[in-house]
Amino acid sequence: MVKTIFEDIKNSIKGIEINEVSYAERGYHLAVEATKGNLLNIIGLLDKKRFYIADMCCVDYVEYLEIVYLFNNHSSLCRIKVSLKVDPERPVAPTISHIYTMAHWYEREIYEFFGVYFEGHDKLIYLFLHDGIDFYPLRKQRVPVSAEDMKLLNSFKPREEEDTFFVNLGPQHPSTHGVLRVVIKMDGEYVVSAEPVLGYLHRMHEKMAENRTYQQFLPNPARMDYPGALLFNLAHVAAVEKLCGIEVPERAQYIRTITCELNRVASHLLWIGAFLADLGGLTPFLYAFDDRENILDILEAVTGSRLTYCYFRFGGLYNDVDDNFVSETKKFVKRMRERFIMYEKLITKNVIFINRVKGIGTIKQDMVPKYGFSGPTIRSTGIPFDMRTHEPYAAYDKIDFEIPTGTVGDNMDRYTVRLSEMAICLDIIEKAIAKLPSGPINADKVPKKLKPPKGDIYHAVESTRGETGVYIVSDESDKPYRMRWRVPSFSNLMTFPALAKGSLLADAIATMGSFDLVIPEIDR
Amino acid sequence: MTSVVEIVKGFVSLIVGMGVTIKAFFSPVVTVQYPRKTINITPRFRGHTKLVADSERPERTKCIVCGMCERNCPSKSIKKITGEKLEGEKKKTATQYILDFTTCSQCGICVETCPVDALEFSADYNPVGYKREDFHYDLVKEFEKRRQKL
Amino acid sequence: MNELKCIISIIGEETTRAVIGLVGVMILVVVNALILTWAERKVAGHMQRRIAAKEVGPFGLIQPIADSLKLLCKELITPHHAERPLFYLAPTLIFLPVLVSFVVIPFDAYLQVKDINVGILVILAFSSLSVLSILIAGWGSNNKYSLIGSIRSVAQNIAYEIPLLLSLLPIIIIAQSFSLRDIVEAQKGLWFVVYQPFAFLIFFTASVAETNRTPFDLPEAESELVAGFHTEYSGMRFALFFLAEYTNIFIVSAIATTFFLGGYNGPILPGIIWFFIKTYFLVFVILWMRWTFPRVRFDQLLNLSWKILIPVALVNLIVTGGILKL
Repeated sequence: MVKTIFEDIKNSIKGIEINEVSYAERGYHLAVEATKGNLLNIIGLLDKKRFYIADMCCVDYVEYLEIVYLFNNHSSLCRIKVSLKVDPERPVAPTISHIYTMAHWYEREIYEFFGVYFEGHDKLIYLFLHDGIDFYPLRKQRVPVSAEDMKLLNSFKPREEEDTFFVNLGPQHPSTHGVLRVVIKMDGEYVVSAEPVLGYLHRMHEKMAENRTYQQFLPNPARMDYPGALLFNLAHVAAVEKLCGIEVPERAQYIRTITCELNRVASHLLWIGAFLADLGGLTPFLYAFDDRENILDILEAVTGSRLTYCYFRFGGLYNDVDDNFVSETKKFVKRMRERFIMYEKLITKNVIFINRVKGIGTIKQDMVPKYGFSGPTIRSTGIPFDMRTHEPYAAYDKIDFEIPTGTVGDNMDRYTVRLSEMAICLDIIEKAIAKLPSGPINADKVPKKLKPPKGDIYHAVESTRGETGVYIVSDESDKPYRMRWRVPSFSNLMTFPALAKGSLLADAIATMGSFDLVIPEIDR
Repeated sequence: MTSVVEIVKGFVSLIVGMGVTIKAFFSPVVTVQYPRKTINITPRFRGHTKLVADSERPERTKCIVCGMCERNCPSKSIKKITGEKLEGEKKKTATQYILDFTTCSQCGICVETCPVDALEFSADYNPVGYKREDFHYDLVKEFEKRRQKL
Repeated sequence: MNELKCIISIIGEETTRAVIGLVGVMILVVVNALILTWAERKVAGHMQRRIAAKEVGPFGLIQPIADSLKLLCKELITPHHAERPLFYLAPTLIFLPVLVSFVVIPFDAYLQVKDINVGILVILAFSSLSVLSILIAGWGSNNKYSLIGSIRSVAQNIAYEIPLLLSLLPIIIIAQSFSLRDIVEAQKGLWFVVYQPFAFLIFFTASVAETNRTPFDLPEAESELVAGFHTEYSGMRFALFFLAEYTNIFIVSAIATTFFLGGYNGPILPGIIWFFIKTYFLVFVILWMRWTFPRVRFDQLLNLSWKILIPVALVNLIVTGGILKL
């Protein structure tokens, strides 16, 4: 697959610089150096071949700014990095938001953090930052924001229309699952447009990463996605291990898999409770938390924390698990399987729930590459895309498991996909416990001050919400030069304005609830 | 228009759902009435750190005031470590170790990087106080207090 | 007894009966609200496998008194541009029709404030007045969310009045009278629920919708519209809205008991105890439903009423009339 794409691109576009790189070192297969002239051609070609944008970010090498586009394919693994160099004095780049709709928000983010102006973009306003920024935060030197840029960034004005009124959903609202504000323009009971406003929880994790060593950044990923903290921890640790070439022993891989799957079940349980609470049924919330307490007790006995875990280290784990963990986990798996029957009786077969959820918020399959969904959202449309089988890591290549898919892509499908995922997680846990080998839990020679070799790497993990990716650029010092987090809720949220249009307010809220958004990971 | 069969099936599903909640109604509660009853805390719980006694000289801590934990802390929570070199000893002993627990994220990096394993997590899961300064612990003083109790 | 005869000779029997009855009704309303606040929390707690309301008094029994004291002491806030006369009128207006409905309910064979011979019509007429007060509350608050909530509530209440009435008509036809006491007397042999199970179900569903309880509580949907039409009310005014809601629950359960479950008929125990047992059983079922089901969406709610409940109720009425004729 990689070879064919390589040949296609080389032949279609004249004078293009494209190289094959070592996947084991870099995490991507092909590197394309684009220029302003042929960027749109390259992107158009990749769009025709049904690639989606995995991530789009900018890195400030002081002599030039490099905009990095990482593409991937849903059907087979082929990651392509397209990079575009722009001049640091007056950075301008062409927009690709007319080809890929998801680039709209990514370009807004790059504009406000780096100052790169995208020609042709229709709404370059603040995304995360708000009024009062005098200089671009993620640049290496202090570059002030020019007056015209400031005016452009500040120009968010909701457009008034006849017979409509604005309702602010949030930032304090029982159903927004975090601090998200959505400005909804309503005509009676129907939603005319919905515009999310982000940035209420922005804590500059990416800037913090540049000022802390790799080891000092370990507690941060858990604060980004608190329900699924172990998976973000795994993304960070696995990316750095891949960059440095550290080999993790097998026992550590299996324990990582088991704890990550337990965390996934806990996160999905939290989602079920919150989703039903949105719809008005307040009791399943407490039943889900009852089950979640069991998982949290097991994980507390192992890691010491209940929510924001900092358990994985470079080369292995912080401490080992004991027999108590194995027996408690087996007990939990047995108990949880019986609880699924209860959830089915109470929720899944309930006619009121089915009527609220079926046929609402349908995602069509042709929307999928434009928006870059991942996780249960994409699996509900019928595409069996899961990073655990697409690009195996930890012990997932040694365990067989199926990938549940939906058919239509409505809220009901997302619900059933997540329920099936929980059941499959229990299967994975059982198989992994049966195969748990003995041995060391930490790699042999891991230097105290980690100094990775020069270069960049992208590594992605299937977190509870979708594809979580870390893009690290290292310059041989002990602090990362740039660390970029690709979070799944960000690309999932982008579809909400399109789906909410024309629906009732109750439906819009149910759709937003079914996406399983966690705002701290969007705002980083 | 929904058919009669669908209405009946829907009605039955509602009754089944009500059966689940009534069964829960008559089941025992799963909550623990804290603070009247408490649960046991697992030994690996990550409370604030505490200093470990030296096995040869139990009146002193193992800390040699090297400053590794202070340098490696991501949140700069370890504010000040002072020590003195006593007569006839090779390494320093700690006399003051200020930890600002309000910014600590319980990551465990200080526990890991200590070259003499002088730090450990305590099981203090419910610290209370009225002001922020109540959580600026002096770990050497806490160590002395614990020794007094024994 | 002598003082009673003295009073009766001065003002007349009817007036004495009315005064004693109204005092009794007021006491019943307040006690019922206290019981229901406690019961709601306990039922919710135990269904969610936790203990609710434990600290204040044994089993939390003094909790409702603590709640009412708190509400009495709260500041009565009026929003800036609210329409004052309407804003102040709404809580009182929602409360009065409920009191009137208590007048005709037969608690025991002779424990009824006044046995009006068109009893059920009085109840239905006055319960429609509460719709008016919801509208006044929503409009007078000068708040978008309250207005949306009250409009939804008005549409819902109007839509569900019709199945309510249509499901009671077969009973009236069978019992040949509008008076509530006659209906209960006619159930001495067999309760009407055996003859009219569909009418019972339709009446129960429609009454849950009338009282704005889950699954039909869209007007007060917490996760969508903050609190609907009573968002802007605080302190005692809010307490009056809640008092009216709980009393409404009691009234509809009482009517269901009277019409379908035999009223005060029952062996061994005195009639009034049977009446309260049956009524509170139905109240428990209404509380139980709140903590089990999610909310019905607004257009599905209206669809349910106009497209399902009304046709079934009409068919039931015609079939009943047909069978009785033959």
